[in-house]
Amino acid sequence: MHVLEVSRVSKSFGSVRAVQEVSFAANRGEVFTIIGPNGAGKTTTLEMIEGLQRPDSGAVSVLGMTWDKDAENIKMRIGVQPQSSALFDLLTVEENLALFASFYDRHRPVPEIMELINLTDHRRKLVKTLSGGQKQRLAIGLGLINDPEIIFLDEPTTGLDPQARRNIWDIVLKLRAIGKTTVLTTHYMEEAEQLSDRVCIIDQGRIIAMDTPKALIGRLTQEREIHLKLADEAAAAAAEGAARTEPNVTRVERKGAQLRIRSGKPEATLYHLLGFASESGQTVEQISIREMSLENVFIAFTGKEWRD
Amino acid sequence: MAKNMKQLRMLFDAQIKETFRERQVWFWSIMFPVLLLVIFMIIFGGNSDFSAKVAIVGDKSGAAAEAFVQSAEATGVLKIEQDLDLQEAEKRLKDKRLDAVFVLPDSSETGDFGLLLNAEGQTSSTSQALGSIAGQLTAAANQAATGIAPAFDLKTEYVSASNNRLKVSDFLLSGVIALSIAQSGLFGMVGLVEIRRKGLLKRLKMTPVNMRLFGVANVGARFALSIVQVILLTLIGVVAFRANVDFSPLTFLLIFIVGTLAFSGLGYLISAASKTLESYMGISNLVSFIMMFLSGIFIDVNVLPGYLKPVSHVMPLTYFVDGIRGGMIYGSGMNADMWLNLAVLAAWGVVSFILATLLFRRRSASL
Repeated sequence: MHVLEVSRVSKSFGSVRAVQEVSFAANRGEVFTIIGPNGAGKTTTLEMIEGLQRPDSGAVSVLGMTWDKDAENIKMRIGVQPQSSALFDLLTVEENLALFASFYDRHRPVPEIMELINLTDHRRKLVKTLSGGQKQRLAIGLGLINDPEIIFLDEPTTGLDPQARRNIWDIVLKLRAIGKTTVLTTHYMEEAEQLSDRVCIIDQGRIIAMDTPKALIGRLTQEREIHLKLADEAAAAAAEGAARTEPNVTRVERKGAQLRIRSGKPEATLYHLLGFASESGQTVEQISIREMSLENVFIAFTGKEWRD
Repeated sequence: MAKNMKQLRMLFDAQIKETFRERQVWFWSIMFPVLLLVIFMIIFGGNSDFSAKVAIVGDKSGAAAEAFVQSAEATGVLKIEQDLDLQEAEKRLKDKRLDAVFVLPDSSETGDFGLLLNAEGQTSSTSQALGSIAGQLTAAANQAATGIAPAFDLKTEYVSASNNRLKVSDFLLSGVIALSIAQSGLFGMVGLVEIRRKGLLKRLKMTPVNMRLFGVANVGARFALSIVQVILLTLIGVVAFRANVDFSPLTFLLIFIVGTLAFSGLGYLISAASKTLESYMGISNLVSFIMMFLSGIFIDVNVLPGYLKPVSHVMPLTYFVDGIRGGMIYGSGMNADMWLNLAVLAAWGVVSFILATLLFRRRSASL
């Protein structure tokens, strides 16, 4: 069942067409990720769903309701963590949660939320003394206080160190485990791959691909990149010659003793190269095959480099 | 209803904490007015006991000279050295061990009474006062010489509308109280600029919170701060500087409430008109400075040059300080003047509030 339906929404700011004809639907209990580079239209899309922006055209339905008729009801049943962690800096963790709890008809107990976002030990600390990761967790906690059916997380890990990022991932995975629907935006491909049930890739205001991470990667060609490191340059040059004669190889690059080989059938290419190496008495020092990632999906669909 | 009350209580609680946990608030809204009060009290509010050290030299025989010396002793504000010769007296005057030297004429019948003053102090108020005292003493000597009593005499009394004699300290105390309430209204909306800048306002709009209650709680916190200011400043003024207060509770309360609201409205307008914290602080400072000097807080409005008086007549602080003085030290009832003060303040408040709301609407529409 769809808890969120976005159909053909568009939004322009002056001459900038931020979002163009975007449609998607989120299922109950899934983690749905909108990914795209900065300025792709992720936040604008999210803000239209959250009722902060009115779409120029198209329709948004949240839990079967629309913002025009049921704003109050929708607000009661969704949770939001905006991109800038907007908190009361001079209140403690506990006071922030208790205050937000008072805005809702029903809410989960404050200690339970503090436990979930792992801030119980810091509950009496003023927000302004918290670290970036702790603030971000509190912002997520505020979004969860009303026990929402859908939670929207707008770039929750941007600017955080790897450990803090993992802590946020843990929270998202916990939410999925208890059956919450999470709509997430990020510009970290790795994050989208790790957390999402489904991914929607947007670029320049348009959806360019939408599916499970696995299916998206599966749509790419079977081509893989093989990295080899040989003993010295001469050996690498010889191996380069051998690689070029292998029919599956599409591209070879050599840098000193290192080779980067693209192949449509990596296992056959590797077999050929290792055979060549043992025949000519060379030692291969390192071998690796790079798996395709969502980053390659983005590159394949847009023809652009991906930059974090 | 019960839910709204709970929400209001939580919001008020939050605003109080945000206000009183902010060091800036303690400095600008509490420390600063206290310092201002203490400094002005020490400079202007102390006992205005004038005294000066003078020497009288020359021939002290003769009725006129005697009258001069007697009158000088009778002023009670002069410390008189009588046994110096002219040279010694001049020397001491140069060293500033004396404020002035009166030189009696050689002849007991006619001649000039001389007044010697130190040139460095020629513009000081002490020199001016000594000049006028010397004039009076000369008149007394003339009377003694001619035996004619003057037909007219000048009697000076300080009169105020209050039951007690109004002192400078009362004037300063009530002025600083009005100023500090006005300032916390003007600067107090800094929180509003901040929550907009940080995205907290947007965040709140994503919750079902009643934004009207948020506004009410905000104003409530303003009042709490103003009450602290009034109590603290009054205590310091009365206990440390013997200021007199003559409260008229109804007048004071009405002016206090309407004034606090009016200046909060003005702060709200400035916050609506400024995009950044810097521009908000800039505009607030400018407005506050202009009002501080043109509204009769420290400087009486009547001594302002004519072209500035109309400005003073539209300033809300002019009416606020007049109202606070009325309700706090003159014990005025709700007379016509007080109603005028209230009306002007209310007008400022209402107009600011409406303009601010329109500005906010326009801005959030173009978000």
